[in-house]
Amino acid sequence: MISYAVSNAITEKRPWPIAMAEPEYNVELMRRIAAREDMALCELYAAYGQRLYAYALRLTNEPALAEDIVQDALVIVWRTAGRYRGEGRLAAWLLGIVHHTAIKAMRHRSIPISDEMVTGLPAPTDSPETQTQANQQAQWVRDGLQSLSPEHRAVLELVFYQGLSLDETAKVCNCPLGTVKSRLSYARQHLRGILSRQNVEEWR
Amino acid sequence: MTAHTYFEEHLPLYAAGQLDGAQRAEIEIHLAGCPECRADLELWAAVSGEIHTANRPLAAPPALAEHALDQIHAPNRLTSAFLRTWQLLRVQALLVRHEMWPASALVMLMGVVVALLADRVNFIYFLAPLVAASSLAMLYGPENDAAMELSLATPTSPWKILLARLSVVSGYNLLLSLGATLLLLFIAPPGLLGTIILGWLGPLTFLSALALLLSIWLGTNQAIAVAYGLWLLQYIPFAAIGPWLDSPGLASAMAVYRQFWQSPLLLLLLSLFLIGLALWSANRPVFRLTSTPS
Ligand SMILES: [Zn+2]
Repeated sequence: MISYAVSNAITEKRPWPIAMAEPEYNVELMRRIAAREDMALCELYAAYGQRLYAYALRLTNEPALAEDIVQDALVIVWRTAGRYRGEGRLAAWLLGIVHHTAIKAMRHRSIPISDEMVTGLPAPTDSPETQTQANQQAQWVRDGLQSLSPEHRAVLELVFYQGLSLDETAKVCNCPLGTVKSRLSYARQHLRGILSRQNVEEWR
Repeated sequence: MTAHTYFEEHLPLYAAGQLDGAQRAEIEIHLAGCPECRADLELWAAVSGEIHTANRPLAAPPALAEHALDQIHAPNRLTSAFLRTWQLLRVQALLVRHEMWPASALVMLMGVVVALLADRVNFIYFLAPLVAASSLAMLYGPENDAAMELSLATPTSPWKILLARLSVVSGYNLLLSLGATLLLLFIAPPGLLGTIILGWLGPLTFLSALALLLSIWLGTNQAIAVAYGLWLLQYIPFAAIGPWLDSPGLASAMAVYRQFWQSPLLLLLLSLFLIGLALWSANRPVFRLTSTPS
């Protein structure tokens, strides 16, 4: 009972309330896309392209496929822009379209999760001499993320990089809030298992 | 312990920097007394750091919005198929022998005049298939087509070219015959309109298809000769020519033959078969070779 009360109190103080209105210029941008203005789609891409591509790449681990997905998502945005009325954050709305497009594309190609896919990620930027313990830990985290399913990676990316609330994450993934929470919990246990195993091997 | 579960759930948001001051303070108080949550926080911080590190060098791929717009503005498959077909029909209509258009129209017009003057509606039934057959016999083949080399050099296959011309010229022939029939309403009761049209439609289609096929196989002149001969055969009054031709066997054979030309369904079905055969033949190099002028 206590936790329920606290939870309510915190939900009310959330920095991005679920029904927060989007800045007028974003609503206007979508209105211009709905009015078939080419330039508006380019502006939207300039503002959100990096985030959308990062999300598609996180889901697929394949740069070429991620590009196709973002392009297809832009076509869908063009066709459905009229349905966006500023009732939620534009980023979440756009990410939802990318998510839907990516899931469809991956189901179509039935991509297996394999080790080769790690090569699709950017190489570590550090030079060899700065390979420290911290870098090695980062490598384990990277491998740990790779070994998660796209659905679990999606939740982590949305919460940690895209800055979405759990409710927004649930909307983007088109699943109940409880599923988002259980995916976070599963990811935590999975990664903790890998890290503790690695720590035992390295330091004991 | 329920409180711990609650904080466990909110630690990712804390690590992601999504909580406000009061929420952060609550969690920090719990963290001070809970080593398990401290370990979790370390894990989430590592995950967050790794995701940011991986995404930092990423840039939006160039020109994706432009590609999307190209995709958006490209005509869809149905529209482009329709445009291609229209283009083919237009080009092939221009390549058909030019004198065919006015010649056919003129012959039909003269036929209408004769029919009106002589008060003979049947004259259109007699004339329409002949006009259509001769125009279709001139549809294809080197002796009819100065631009044939050009047509065959294009990636469009011969049967498509033939089908395009067939459609254009047949449509023209049908319009001519319909127009002629409407003019006949000056002397015929309007109630007969359907009967008149049904009367010439079957023979016109069959004779056209036959002429087309024979023109591909034998050449234009032979095709016209055979088609005309077959059509005129039914009008020859054998009994009047001489007593030696006045036999019951021949008379009944001629009755069956005339009946054949008055069976629209049979004629239309046979036409479909002949047109299919003509389209197939147009693609055989051997038939294109034999249709050179002799
Ligand atoms: Zn705790």
